[in-house]
Amino acid sequence: MLLRRLRYWMASARSAESLREEMELHLAEKAAELQADGMTPDRARAEAHRRFGNAGLKREESRELWMTRFWSELSQDIRYGWRTIAANKALSALVVLSLALGIGANTAIYSLMESILMRSLPVADPESLVVLNWRSQPPQNANRQWVHVVHGLQGVFWPGDKGAMISGIFPYGAFETLRADNPAFSTIFGYVNGRSRNLTVRGQSITANSEFVTGEYFRGLAVSPAAGRMITAEDDRPGAPPVAVVSFAASQSRFGGPSSAIGQSILVDKVPVTVIGVAPPEFFGVDPAMAPDLYLPLRTNVLLDGAATERLFSDGNFYWLEMMGRLRPGITMAQAQAALAPRFHQWVAATATTDGERANLPALMLNPGAAGLGSLRREYSKPLYVLLAMVALILAITCANIANLLLARASARRREMAVRLSLGAGRLRVVRQLLTESVMLASLGGALGVLFAIWGVRSLTFLFSRGQENFTLHAELNWHVLGVTAALSVVCGLLFGLVPAIQSTRPDVMPALKNGRGGGARHRAQNVLVVAQIAISFLILVAAGLFVRTLENLHSVPLGYARENILLFSLNASQAGHRQSELPAFYADLRRRFESIPGISSATLCRSSIISSGRAGGAIQGAMKIGAVTIDGARTLGAGPRFFTTMQIPILAGREIDDRDQPGSTSVAVISERLARTYFGNDNPLGRRIALPDEKRELEIIGVSANLRSGSLKSNEGGNPMAVFVALSQFSADRVTYALRTAGDPLRYAGNVRELVREADSTLPVTNIVTQAAEIDRSINREIIFAKLCTGFALLALLMASVGLYGTMSYSVTRQFGEIGIRMALGAPRGAMVWMVLRRVLLLAAAGLAISVPAALIASRLVKSFLFQTQPNDPRTLALAGVVLLSAAILAGYAPARRASRIDPLVALRHD
Amino acid sequence: MGRKPKKNESLPGSLDMLILRTLSRRDLHGYGIVQFIQQSSSNDLLIEEGSLYPALQRLELNGWIDGDWGVTSNNRRARIYKITAAGSKQLAVETRQYTRLTLAIARVMGTE
Repeated sequence: MLLRRLRYWMASARSAESLREEMELHLAEKAAELQADGMTPDRARAEAHRRFGNAGLKREESRELWMTRFWSELSQDIRYGWRTIAANKALSALVVLSLALGIGANTAIYSLMESILMRSLPVADPESLVVLNWRSQPPQNANRQWVHVVHGLQGVFWPGDKGAMISGIFPYGAFETLRADNPAFSTIFGYVNGRSRNLTVRGQSITANSEFVTGEYFRGLAVSPAAGRMITAEDDRPGAPPVAVVSFAASQSRFGGPSSAIGQSILVDKVPVTVIGVAPPEFFGVDPAMAPDLYLPLRTNVLLDGAATERLFSDGNFYWLEMMGRLRPGITMAQAQAALAPRFHQWVAATATTDGERANLPALMLNPGAAGLGSLRREYSKPLYVLLAMVALILAITCANIANLLLARASARRREMAVRLSLGAGRLRVVRQLLTESVMLASLGGALGVLFAIWGVRSLTFLFSRGQENFTLHAELNWHVLGVTAALSVVCGLLFGLVPAIQSTRPDVMPALKNGRGGGARHRAQNVLVVAQIAISFLILVAAGLFVRTLENLHSVPLGYARENILLFSLNASQAGHRQSELPAFYADLRRRFESIPGISSATLCRSSIISSGRAGGAIQGAMKIGAVTIDGARTLGAGPRFFTTMQIPILAGREIDDRDQPGSTSVAVISERLARTYFGNDNPLGRRIALPDEKRELEIIGVSANLRSGSLKSNEGGNPMAVFVALSQFSADRVTYALRTAGDPLRYAGNVRELVREADSTLPVTNIVTQAAEIDRSINREIIFAKLCTGFALLALLMASVGLYGTMSYSVTRQFGEIGIRMALGAPRGAMVWMVLRRVLLLAAAGLAISVPAALIASRLVKSFLFQTQPNDPRTLALAGVVLLSAAILAGYAPARRASRIDPLVALRHD
Repeated sequence: MGRKPKKNESLPGSLDMLILRTLSRRDLHGYGIVQFIQQSSSNDLLIEEGSLYPALQRLELNGWIDGDWGVTSNNRRARIYKITAAGSKQLAVETRQYTRLTLAIARVMGTE
């Protein structure tokens, strides 16, 4: 039986053909018979057909027997759907594109968010991991108060609530105290970002990210090696042979696979180290933003960074080590906090020696560690929520748009439906046909959306990564999110496909057949949708406007130094094995060589780029004095010869730092004009002296420069133009940043630079090659991302709203075809017709704005913290957004309006 | 409007039986079957001619008849149907049922 059915099914195409032939034969014979009875050939044929009944229906009934009806009808629907989609290319493309963009943008943003904010560390039982932080007391007055027990630090702070400071770095002593006999943690481990190192494998040097970890690190995280073994407590003690664990990726790219990495001897900053293990592929350390290539025992830093580092382990006032712990089973974080906070307090109180230090002691604070450290989370979580909200709005517009387009299409096809129904098509069949089309459009949109999402995640990661060196965030497409957004859009497509489908197949097809025009209810629905779209578009436009203004303001912040035509790059000859005493000569020689490159007008070196001088820390720690007066809040910048020439900072008096300022000669300084005015008034500062905090030396002021902005563009501190420039060669600097003033595109000279460095030392990698402009932009990366993305979103929203408006107006003009014809026949001028349509456009736009302006005023407050010198209710931005929106609306409405004015009254009146 | 016209069959399934009966006398093509039924009923039974073809398909699918391409009496290509063994059995069953049914109806109507 089944076989027979299958055979029929296979032969269905043939059967359909032969069935038709059989029926035709039947009709022909019948006609012949009737003709023989005396009918005319024409009448005979008609009579034969009449007696035969509905041949198409019979054929279908027959076919139904061998193919189950569903499949045959489905394939028919799909074929027909394709035809309809192909026939309405523009409309179909709009629907598909709207869907794709809506789904894609949402999925991309959400995926990125998930990978930054919510993903757990790829380790066993991440929920039991706890990050140790401490917080300072909220200050009594508004001023930020330093925690005086912290004498030195290496790491970051971030603001907590009420002006308190929060940090995750501790002295080594705190770690030892908490490690000894800990009632709450089964393991506690420490780690320090080891920064980039010069890694030499088989004679080849590269720069690699490193992480110093205590012996308990891998055990605490419960990470087992992909090959070899992990670092243990045995490796992390003074005098242990230096070992390293490399990341899986590094083992593949540098060692030719995990197993062949084991036992290899490598050079880390010229120190021989043995590779003992390879981390598993999914492990990226404890901070999703960092992915170390190299894990080294904490004690190894003494070997790498010199014997002075030994002090870090004994100094109870130097904060540098980050810590995590794993809770013992059954212990909650609150219990752990209660158990450990007093112990830490007791320990830290003992490190305070003065009353000032005792006044504000750091307090231990535990945070969940499941998601790892949150350097990215801190910076990007709020922006991502803002972006997510925007994308959700875009999705809303998308859905409205699809609904609108489908409604318009259904109205346009009302007549077609009526014709089909009156020709005997089943109602369910017609509804199904319409649904099939909607689903097809939705699926096409969804498929395109997936592609768009994949592309979006990549480009977003790229966009975000610009802010950081060695950014290795593992953002992946989130299929759950994709599923949800796709389902949402498809449901929307179905819903708005279904409603008109059911409406247009109402049994009474006669009115539709007669006048071919739809009723009022759907019309209203379209208006509501358009108004909503306009309102949402306005919100997004305002946001985009605010962020673009912010970026503009940031870009117009006066720098006081050259932004264009400067190439920056960094060298660390100390890591490449050069002795400290040789460094100044080596760097000075290189500088002269760079200056001889054709096209380079001047070359200089500095401790760090001017924009990052705040982050990198000054050349001098602590307060300097002029006589008995302490210089308050000045930045120190280490600069080499020709620094002011290269950076185009005018020298107002005296001279700039040059080759004369050698390690042995008098220590010199150039001060900024503001500093000179503040501390010397109208006196001539040249020849006066500045006392350094720690050292016996003094600086002689040899020049006064114009004011410049050092440090971040955003911070108020960066606005402080008080600066002391010291001769870099007279202060130790392992790592220097060169700046070359170039003719034309700075990056063109990167090749020359690499070549010169290779000639000087083939094992010395050139890192961080970047233009000054890009380096500055890097510091406002978040604002750039916002401005770019929001502009993109705004364009998208505007486009969709325009499409929605255009669709509605087009449809309404078509519907009023007859009316317009009559008006024009009665003498209405063409201009009046244009106005009639545009008036409705403006009315819709005005309704949208009326809803949106108050909403924008409220919503923009939420993004206040992202703005720079821009008020959330910036009237210029609001006005501009309004103008843009109205122009777009008029533009979208103009085409239908023009069409209305071109209607020929004669044609319109004759038209049914 | 918008509805399929109802099939006008006094006794459901009777068309199948009639076709099987016709084919049990001799092999015929579709048009021949219609003609035969109408003629032998003296035109009292009017079949909606189109309905014949779905019925033929159904019978063939059930394996009661077999259709093959052949040539009609006036030399045209046509599908000639013949009854199968299973079809003869089915005809016997249906004939029995039909007889019982008509007798029962006749008894009720008092026309026996």
